[in-house]
Amino acid sequence: MINLQGIHKSYHMGDVTVPVLNGIDLTINAGEFVAIMGPSGSGKTTLLNLIGCLDSIDSGEYSLAGEQINTLDDKSMARIRSQHIGFVFQLFNLIPRISARRNIELPMIYANINKADRFTRTSSVLERVGLSDRATHMPTQLSGGQQQRVAIARALVNNPELLVVDEPTGSLDSKNGEEIMQLFEKLNAEGVTIVMVTHELDIAAYAQRQVHLLDGKIDQDKS
Amino acid sequence: MISIQFYFDRLIQAFYALRDNRLRSVLSVLGIAVGIAAVMAVGAVSKGGSYLVFSELETFGLNSVWVYRDRNDKDPNRRIRKGTGLDNYDYYALKDSCCSVMEKITPMVFSSERNIIQTGNRYSNARVSGVNSDYLDINNDHLIYGRNFRPIDIKRRRASALIGPTVVEDLFGKDSNPVGKDIRIGLRRFTVIGVLEEKSRDFLASIGSAGGQDANNRILIPFTLFQQMNGSKAINFFHLKARSLEEADLLSEQAKAFLKRRNGKNYQYKTETMATYIGTADRILSGVAMIGVIAASISLLVGGLGIMNIMSTSVLERTREIGLRKAIGASQTDILMQFLLEAIVISTVGGSLGLVLGASASIILAMITGFPLTPTPLVILIALVVSVIVGVASGFLPARRASRLHPVEALRYE
Repeated sequence: MINLQGIHKSYHMGDVTVPVLNGIDLTINAGEFVAIMGPSGSGKTTLLNLIGCLDSIDSGEYSLAGEQINTLDDKSMARIRSQHIGFVFQLFNLIPRISARRNIELPMIYANINKADRFTRTSSVLERVGLSDRATHMPTQLSGGQQQRVAIARALVNNPELLVVDEPTGSLDSKNGEEIMQLFEKLNAEGVTIVMVTHELDIAAYAQRQVHLLDGKIDQDKS
Repeated sequence: MISIQFYFDRLIQAFYALRDNRLRSVLSVLGIAVGIAAVMAVGAVSKGGSYLVFSELETFGLNSVWVYRDRNDKDPNRRIRKGTGLDNYDYYALKDSCCSVMEKITPMVFSSERNIIQTGNRYSNARVSGVNSDYLDINNDHLIYGRNFRPIDIKRRRASALIGPTVVEDLFGKDSNPVGKDIRIGLRRFTVIGVLEEKSRDFLASIGSAGGQDANNRILIPFTLFQQMNGSKAINFFHLKARSLEEADLLSEQAKAFLKRRNGKNYQYKTETMATYIGTADRILSGVAMIGVIAASISLLVGGLGIMNIMSTSVLERTREIGLRKAIGASQTDILMQFLLEAIVISTVGGSLGLVLGASASIILAMITGFPLTPTPLVILIALVVSVIVGVASGFLPARRASRLHPVEALRYE
């Protein structure tokens, strides 16, 4: 499903070029639940953004779900994100002025799904994350755990093959964190591929495979 | 597939975003509303001014042409001659055989000295003009009492007079009907046969362009009789009426050429046409209107800058939201459209509000002045189109900046 070959990526800060990824080779199969770990500055978030098609590769080859990513323009990248990928962030990133239902509908608006379908799909995905009774609540009326569930529902609503997850429990207490991780386990069991960045060992333990990065290279890859 | 639904969804999103910053949105809506209303109000006021001036110019007869002797004769070989250079022979010649496009002609005869005008112990300082029976039509004059001269009155030099409203007031008292009564001009007794309708030339008089005379303080008598009183066959100038406004210039050339053939050895002639004055007035008024509209447009421009300002702030505040939208599948075009649409919604709502304000102002002005200043559908269409253009112009830069944000950096923005 995901195939990365010889990936390099560096950032430019003024005149200084900071290499972040130095030759990553990584293959992730459909249905896997992978945790990417490593100390800060190891490049794990950069790798996740590349996998999520939010950022472009300097050199190397990246294919996702059979599509060659490294040569695509903005519009095609947006289409890939819309069709194949769902994002879950540490800070939820819900839009505060609209209800949970409207937040979940957003990806479908960009995918040009009609209104009737949007409504039924939002309802079913809310049920999947256990929040059917919170559809009309505003994000500020929900607890952290509930907000993250809404964010997960939003990530799932276009039926992506891949969830790209960045520190999903970083803003939650341990009880809510645990529930969110159980939800990911359930989704993975239903066939969704998950790639997750975390620095917490007990969170990473929910994944079947842990990839450790160090200085922009894969240090360890264990299942 | 791009459908109405597609645009509707995006429009709803724009409304949600604007509702979120209600005060800011309302202020920028007002900015545009004031701009559009100002442009419309200034337009209506200058259009009203133009109607006012035009209606005053109309009191001279729109198709009028005046023919004078040109006293700026600089030919050193010519003998210096006195007099007006026009007499009854010129009048009959012009009347009979000049100028295909001439409809009517009247001689204008004045006296070099002032005649005493009185009835009983009441006096008037009116200006006396000798005219023929076509004068009223040529000069766009109407009577409120009595009748016009008949050709026979002119021919027989009958001592009849048409008098203006100020003369009536001075000699007989306000609101009286003096038809049939006598007045004395100089040493002769005249019978009043009609009273001229009041003419408003307040504006032109105030800028010193009413021909130096009060249109309401006039006495008209047969020119033939006035010539007899003056002891001269001289005519001061001719007042002609062209068949149409467009033919006024042609008539003026024809009349000049005709007189040149007759008297060219002794005199030179010049003409003035109402058409020229109308053209001049039109140029001045549209110049003034242009300045007004430009001044009011500046307030519209400021309104547009207001939108640009709040859109820029909005883009900055919603940087993370933009990153998120990109992550969940928005392309650059989607983001550009979203922010442009927000700007257009503000400017169109503001424009519509301004349209209502401006149209109300115009309608009130129309009711007060009686001029047709009510906005036409074209004006309304233009106001709305301008509003949309202002929205696009002021929203474009912030929207483009939003669309070009890098998703990763936008999501990391605090």
